[in-house]
Amino acid sequence: MATRPLGVEVPGIGVVLRRPGAWTTLTRFCRKKPLGAAGGLIMLLMFLTALLADQLQTYDPIATDAAHTLAPPGGEHWLGSDHLGRDIYSRIVHGARVSLIVGIASALLGSLLGGVIGLLSGYAGGKTDLIAQRVMDILQGLPLLVLALVLSASLGPSIQNVVIAISIPIIPRAARVIRASVLSIREMQYVEAARAVGLRHLRIAFRHILPNTIGPFIVLCTAQLGSAILVEAALSFLGLGVPEPYPSWGRMLSVSAAEYAQKAPWLVMFPGLAISLAVFGSNLLGDALRDTLDPRLRGA
Amino acid sequence: MKAYVAQRLGIAILTLFGMSLVIFALLRLAPGDIVDILFAAAGYVDPQARAEIMRELGLDQPFWVQYVEWMRQILTGDMGKSYRYDLPAWEIIGPLVPVTLELAALSLIVSVALGVPLGVISAVRQDTGLDYVLRVFSLAGLSMPSFWLGMVIILGLVAWLGWIPPMTYVSPRENLGLHLIQFALPALAVGYRSSALIMRITRSSVLEVMREDYIRTARAKGQSGGVVIWRHALKNAVLPVVTVIGIEFAFLIGGLVVTETVFNLPGVARFLVEAILWRDYPVVQNLVMFIAVIVILSNLVVDMLYGVLDPRVRYGN
Amino acid sequence: MARFRYTVAAFVLAAVVGAGVMPAAAQTPKQGGHLNVMLREDLAQGFSIHETSTISTVWPSMPCLSNLVIFDPLKRVESADTIIGELAEKWSWQDNYKNLVFFLRKDVKWHDGKPFSSKDVKSTFDMVRAAPDAPAKLRLSPRKDWYANVEAIEAPDPHTVVFRLKRPQPGLLAMLASGYSPVYAAHLTPAAYRAACIGTGPFKVKEWRKGEFIDYVKNPDYFIKGRPYLDSLRYVVIKERGTRVAALQAGQLDVSFPGEISKTSAEQLKAAVPQLVITPVGTNVNDNIIMNMKKPPFDNPKIRLAVSYAIDRKGLIQAVHQGGGVPGASLPPKPYGVWGILEKDLAALPGYGKPEDMKARARKLLAEAGVTPQNPLRVEMATRAIAIYVDMASFVINELKQVGIESTLKQIETAQWHATMTRGEYQIGANLTGIGVDEPDANFYENYACGSPRNYSFYCSEQVAKMVDEQSQELDPKKRQQMVWAIQKKLEEDAARPMLDWRLDYFTVWPHVKNMVPHHNIYNFGRMQEVWSAK
Repeated sequence: MATRPLGVEVPGIGVVLRRPGAWTTLTRFCRKKPLGAAGGLIMLLMFLTALLADQLQTYDPIATDAAHTLAPPGGEHWLGSDHLGRDIYSRIVHGARVSLIVGIASALLGSLLGGVIGLLSGYAGGKTDLIAQRVMDILQGLPLLVLALVLSASLGPSIQNVVIAISIPIIPRAARVIRASVLSIREMQYVEAARAVGLRHLRIAFRHILPNTIGPFIVLCTAQLGSAILVEAALSFLGLGVPEPYPSWGRMLSVSAAEYAQKAPWLVMFPGLAISLAVFGSNLLGDALRDTLDPRLRGA
Repeated sequence: MKAYVAQRLGIAILTLFGMSLVIFALLRLAPGDIVDILFAAAGYVDPQARAEIMRELGLDQPFWVQYVEWMRQILTGDMGKSYRYDLPAWEIIGPLVPVTLELAALSLIVSVALGVPLGVISAVRQDTGLDYVLRVFSLAGLSMPSFWLGMVIILGLVAWLGWIPPMTYVSPRENLGLHLIQFALPALAVGYRSSALIMRITRSSVLEVMREDYIRTARAKGQSGGVVIWRHALKNAVLPVVTVIGIEFAFLIGGLVVTETVFNLPGVARFLVEAILWRDYPVVQNLVMFIAVIVILSNLVVDMLYGVLDPRVRYGN
Repeated sequence: MARFRYTVAAFVLAAVVGAGVMPAAAQTPKQGGHLNVMLREDLAQGFSIHETSTISTVWPSMPCLSNLVIFDPLKRVESADTIIGELAEKWSWQDNYKNLVFFLRKDVKWHDGKPFSSKDVKSTFDMVRAAPDAPAKLRLSPRKDWYANVEAIEAPDPHTVVFRLKRPQPGLLAMLASGYSPVYAAHLTPAAYRAACIGTGPFKVKEWRKGEFIDYVKNPDYFIKGRPYLDSLRYVVIKERGTRVAALQAGQLDVSFPGEISKTSAEQLKAAVPQLVITPVGTNVNDNIIMNMKKPPFDNPKIRLAVSYAIDRKGLIQAVHQGGGVPGASLPPKPYGVWGILEKDLAALPGYGKPEDMKARARKLLAEAGVTPQNPLRVEMATRAIAIYVDMASFVINELKQVGIESTLKQIETAQWHATMTRGEYQIGANLTGIGVDEPDANFYENYACGSPRNYSFYCSEQVAKMVDEQSQELDPKKRQQMVWAIQKKLEEDAARPMLDWRLDYFTVWPHVKNMVPHHNIYNFGRMQEVWSAK
């Protein structure tokens, strides 16, 4: 979600990190943004979980066990078992992998594509910019979930296709933000200087302007990560997401979970909490990063 | 101003045209069509009967003929026929529209009613415990999947109270109280979620405004803190909040898809999912265009409001 | 319509008090009242039952329409002996079961006031069997094969219809008694039934609000005097499963949807609302494994048989259905059906013995076919992208893994499922089969006949085909039963389409719903004319 350009352009100032040493930056960030630090910690734990899923699992996440269906949380199954006797904890641990892969891949892919479009159209200006902007309008006019829905129905359920379906709606948002910061940087003296020296356009765009958009770019990616995870969950819930047998948090909540909810509320609670926690973490982190890296984007 | 509106409308029409191409192409790219689904419901496949139904629905025509036909229909105000129901698409979509609009409006009210005060409070108490609690509360709403929230509400209600809101639509003329009860829960679920964004922007605008000189002056002149904030700060924060509401609208419609399904409300969003799964092209195409028109119009209205609220904004390049 | 629990509670209380005062009143059917009935999804092809094969159409359309004959709505078990007349007052087999003659009621009117006659019957079934001289064409006719043996349908006078058969086929009557066999009006096109319903049934459609509900009102001209008891019915579409069951529990729905309530759901409902009336019944829907015999590796009978041996049927019923299923061969076992193989014979079939022994047999068979732990078999297991299919497939994959068959799951979108299977674009699949009527002909010809489009595994045995034709013509029910058992045994021994279990339904109604007798077959008890409300 970009700042509204209107007729008047709102300049986004690309702030490049000063480098007083990574550790100092980190501790200062933690002190000044405790919520953001908490978000970062949550995300770190999620990454580790996804990375070490095979080591953290207590059971094979897709192995069924007829003798222990709907087992309550406890020593045997930490978070209980589902209607086929699959271990919820192990499935959630592996679900982190799916959620994060899809979330990060689509946030990154969407932001990258959008970023490149924004960079080029902002730098080139003129007709290129106009056409690019109209195309972005088309993509942005459609509600995110609706577009993802049509896309994933079109492409069929698989991890790659879900990533594509989720990343496309992110493109216009990314393009807007990056374009806005490019527009402001373009007029800065050192870029003009580079141009005066006769450097080629592409080189100027990627050498001089790109590094200055990294701040907004990081903010953008983090901000989209949460919504990408949510859309993946919603798509899986609607049966259009990542297919079985990969355990996916959204799919764990569909059909059977609601059916057994009164007898086995853990089927509904834990996957839902896992999604919420992941999105919560990325939202906290995103907010804090935005405040730190790019004050002008605050609130957008 | 007039020229600006004309220009914006021109761009909007161009955008809609592009959108129509995208949605048309996407639907045709999707594997399977309505005939596959009819056969799936019949449990067998017969190539000859298949070809006949394709002809009957005009699906045997080349894509460009189908597209031109659709455009012709739109321009003549005809929304085509639903493949699934064999009825004019508008006859089916029409009754769904007010349900979704009402739910969207109610959710918006909830999110403003929740987001603005929380935003102000958390700005005034910046960096206190209360500020953190409110921000966490608000972000938690944004982080919960709306389908899950809806599911937990329904299952929780039935488990503890043995009661859930009515599952068939109750019109306000029939029973206003019941109607409101029916809409209250989904509106709360969606509104809570959307309030996060409004709270965030309210908070930061109020923070910004509070640093301005005239607020400090007002305070110095002895006006009490509460009055100053509500009178001056909030007045100046209205602008960005209106902006966010505009953005929020598109976001909201997406959130309604699952909420309508879980609460069984007969709205546009729920029906759209159904129509996509059925590959009911005329219904999906026209519904998506309809939603796009609403989103574009709401953006336009927000920009107009912007001008009204802030004389500094001039239209035009 | 009571939307709140306390209103419902008040009514129930009133009913209980009322019953206390007049004990006899509880048993005398009461006229009037309204019921809300669960519906899983909106109608697929309107009310055109002949053009679909889904309970989602049959269940909400049945109150509008009538058959020639039907399985007695008040009897749970369906058999040749429970068939009663509906539009046909009487019927008789003539010419040694080669002619089936129906004598029709004379007092029947369509909902639009036009009189009903033999012409309607002839035109309906000529359309269904796609006779060359049929007056109109159905868009699709999934049960055409049920009538493959019909030579001609004649209407000698307005109140007599004769089905002339190519050879004797006593099973035809049972197929005509299925909910899938209503009579359409000849003065309307089949397309008209997709948009609205003009029937001769006990209820008239008042409004069909797409995606929301179907409202029925009593048909005052219904041909059975004093029926229906209810004034009105509403079928409420609720797509979300959790919400659907919650609505039943909260009293917003009075009657569940056939095949919808699993054993676990039923236990939860009973625990929450003890007065709910829950009846476990058969569904005539089975879980099975289809294996493509046209392609390796499943062209090898040993490997097919190994698959059948590997799957622990009891374990599957426990895990996938939480006990809500029964083992059986290709026809449902007693008491859920009349033709199923007996338990003692079942025990001798592949997959029904002790799981460890069975798995050992499977490994041995696989070893003979060259599959060893060092050289495992890798296959792709296809299933329909619906939870009930996927759950079953997940279990089967785990079972096969234990004998050395490594399979990956491939979900096929619902709309593509039948087409993919029919074209044979799969190796092995986890499948569900619902059969409209508990009648060997309907099942064998549809699923095991050489060249039938629903014979997904391409099983084709001359010997079995001959046995099937013979049983179809057998007039002595006892002899026929023996022949049907023999066929079922042979099918399992050939691993033609290994049967895993027959699903059970825990049909649920609120206690004020009376005379709503669920059958052991989801498709045939939706007429509703005998149902009354004690509210």
